[in-house]
Amino acid sequence: MKKLKKEKLTELWSLLAERTSLYLPVDEGGSVNFLPWEKGMEVDLDALNSTIPPKSIFFQQTEVYLQYTTEEDGLKFEEITPQGPAVLFGVRPCDLKGIQLLDNVFLQEPEDSLYKQRRLETTIVALTCTKPDSSCFCTLFDIDPGAAPGADLLATDLGEEFVFTAQSEKGESLLEAIATLLEDAEADSKAVEEVRRQAKAAVPTHGLDVEGLKEKLDSMFDDPIWGTFYRRCLGCGTCTYLCPTCHCFDIQDHTRGEEGLRFRCWDSCMFGEFTLMASGHNPRPTQKERVRNRFLHKLNYYPKNFESYACVGCGRCVRKCPVNLDMIEVIKALGGVTSGSC
Amino acid sequence: MSVTEKSLQEKQAWEPLIVAFCCNWCSYAGGDLAGTSRMPYPANIRVIRVPCSSRVNPMMVLRAFQRGADGVLVAGCHPGDCHYTSGNYYTRRRMSVFRRLLEYTGIEPERFQVTWISGSEGAKFAQVMNRVTEEVRALGPNRKLRDAR
Amino acid sequence: MKPTVDKLKEIAAETLVGKKAELILGWQKGSFWWQSFPAFIEKQEELDSLTWDPFCVANLSIYLLEELKRKKKVALFVKGCDALAINRLLQDKCIEREQVLLYGLPCKGMADRAKIEAAVGEELSIREVRRDGDEFIVLTDNGEQHLDASNYLLDKCLSCRYPNPIVYDQLLAQEIDTFPVKERFQSVVKLENSTFEERYLYWSGHFNRCLRCFACRNVCPACNCRECIFDQNEPRWLGKANILSENQFCHLIRAYHVAGRCIDCGECQRVCPMDIPLQELNRKLIKDLNELYGDYDAGTDPEEPQPLGTFKLDDPASFSES
Ligand code: SF4
Ligand code: SF4
Ligand code: SF4
Ligand code: SF4
Repeated sequence: MKKLKKEKLTELWSLLAERTSLYLPVDEGGSVNFLPWEKGMEVDLDALNSTIPPKSIFFQQTEVYLQYTTEEDGLKFEEITPQGPAVLFGVRPCDLKGIQLLDNVFLQEPEDSLYKQRRLETTIVALTCTKPDSSCFCTLFDIDPGAAPGADLLATDLGEEFVFTAQSEKGESLLEAIATLLEDAEADSKAVEEVRRQAKAAVPTHGLDVEGLKEKLDSMFDDPIWGTFYRRCLGCGTCTYLCPTCHCFDIQDHTRGEEGLRFRCWDSCMFGEFTLMASGHNPRPTQKERVRNRFLHKLNYYPKNFESYACVGCGRCVRKCPVNLDMIEVIKALGGVTSGSC
Repeated sequence: MSVTEKSLQEKQAWEPLIVAFCCNWCSYAGGDLAGTSRMPYPANIRVIRVPCSSRVNPMMVLRAFQRGADGVLVAGCHPGDCHYTSGNYYTRRRMSVFRRLLEYTGIEPERFQVTWISGSEGAKFAQVMNRVTEEVRALGPNRKLRDAR
Repeated sequence: MKPTVDKLKEIAAETLVGKKAELILGWQKGSFWWQSFPAFIEKQEELDSLTWDPFCVANLSIYLLEELKRKKKVALFVKGCDALAINRLLQDKCIEREQVLLYGLPCKGMADRAKIEAAVGEELSIREVRRDGDEFIVLTDNGEQHLDASNYLLDKCLSCRYPNPIVYDQLLAQEIDTFPVKERFQSVVKLENSTFEERYLYWSGHFNRCLRCFACRNVCPACNCRECIFDQNEPRWLGKANILSENQFCHLIRAYHVAGRCIDCGECQRVCPMDIPLQELNRKLIKDLNELYGDYDAGTDPEEPQPLGTFKLDDPASFSES
């Protein structure tokens, strides 16, 4: 374990930014998001969740993956240059889990090579939570806000300093690279344990229980409940775009004369066009089917494929859905409650 | 070649591209007259013939900018002369507010212009095209609305 | 007298029993104190979920287009801004007046969750916020706090010009005195007075951050096209790449498409997850239309033609006409 005094943070950023791209949670005037760091930016390591989840670093909202020109002897393709090594600092445990859930999808065969390369080249520094807020419910999905298994480095905020624990080779080498700024922290291990433990205790339970919910949903595809709460849904993309585990995309070509490029961009199952077929038929004709898909995907389809619910309890949909059709409301409506209210 | 040299060279080589939406009944005819009367106007202008100036909607204007236009002009019949009686009166309102909206988001008003040219105003057609080309040339290439991909 | 939850429930019960409408649109509480969301009430046993508190901000009229496909008559509660939205729909002939039963609610402004949290500090401990006269009473685990409501209203309510509904069948409480409002064009004027470069940087910064989630469009009572131009794919006017040029296209066209029809309700900006100041675009258009073609207040009169749907022979222009 090593620690870093908070007053040395700017030095740390400069040091890291010299070697690689560095993504930090930056306050953009009210909303905090992971941006490539530049001198003078207002880094906010106290903000709980960034508005846009850090999935956007690996699974970018718009990503060109093919470039071509038409020549006499056919199409000529150009290589897409990968962005190179990066450090992503300040990922909360729920969001880390979100990235791991995306790994299941993008790294299964056929592997998504651009995603994979970015994952391999990026060192993730996770940050344990100290002050979960009322819309957090990570513990419902067995995520510990005081731990982040799978992160390269784990950071814990002790007030005046950050304590780092390396959890992988990438993490070790990052610590080595910044060794000049660090002090030994073996003596702080108790304090660190305590902060991490408190985080877990502070997460509200909301009286929710998802034990057996997946199995229950197996037979609920035609349940009348889907005909009720969807009605208030606006059909916007807020919940899906902000969700750290949503990963649907569209592929489009952009052609200019002899040149063109093919890009991938986020898409949302909440949009009518998402399932519209070339024939004009739409298998999810109304918002009812779309809302059902979003929640069945999170709570039934994905778990069937990957043995884990596809919600990490980050609370983004809770905070941002304009009509509160969020995961907590829906789990409650589907009967996933044991006791009480929030 | 240094960056400044290169950009200087680019600037010298650059010619403004102007998309002019001309209504079929007046402004396009005005262009024809300019042509048959051998009045010169710059080759920077690309005329798109539309049935009426009120056929032009702001999406067409923006699309022209996205795809590389440095300036856009909408030209219609003088108020009172619309082939469809009132089309250009709507154009006047619509394009007036749209032009101000563009200005408000930082687009110089010279980049988007509206004018009335009748079928007998060949000279005016040539003169407007010259003026717009020079005004846009002075502003330089459109970088603000362009789809740079 | 202020409208009470009981009054709302009573009138809703009457509506159902008397079969005055097949569906009632109201609000119900969610899991959190700051959540009051649209409720769709068709049965007696659902009546109890109705609520009326400082978080009933959602405008229920936006559901009419969809619900009136199946229902003959829908009853709904309308605040001041919501009533303007009803007139909007009437003006575009999207709904018929006989299809709706309107219960008017004079409104003193809705509460801003973030402002209250900042004042109270411990957001985890807040249990309930209710209005009492000019105060918000905040119940927390550690007791009660009284806040001067005028400091904790949603920004959009600070410039509300129509707190009393101007169209209704029955008003559920006495009209309130209009309160002093913030001048709504202030920030527009400030931007107008900056340079082209400054304005471009300001707006391209915001447009760059847009997610293109379309919450702003979907919540808007003036966005009622059957098929939005942004959803059309033959031809595809708006490309799906999230890049500045496409985002600019999206924002300029959204604002322009509601020009002369925007009721200035502020819903678009309220729901934007990226805090993009959409009102500053809408209000620029309102201001210009007023200046050029005479004062016009969208949503106040469903019979009056909207400014971009009419003209005068001697209209001025923002370009040289010679
Ligand atoms: S659930 Fe909420 S955020 Fe999601 S599409 Fe519906 S209204 Fe938008
Ligand atoms: S469904 Fe909601 S709470 Fe769950 S991970 Fe997605 S945004 Fe977070
Ligand atoms: S303020 Fe926004 S949501 Fe309200 S009418 Fe205008 S554009 Fe629509
Ligand atoms: S709500 Fe905000 S982020 Fe979403 S499309 Fe509208 S402006 Fe963009």
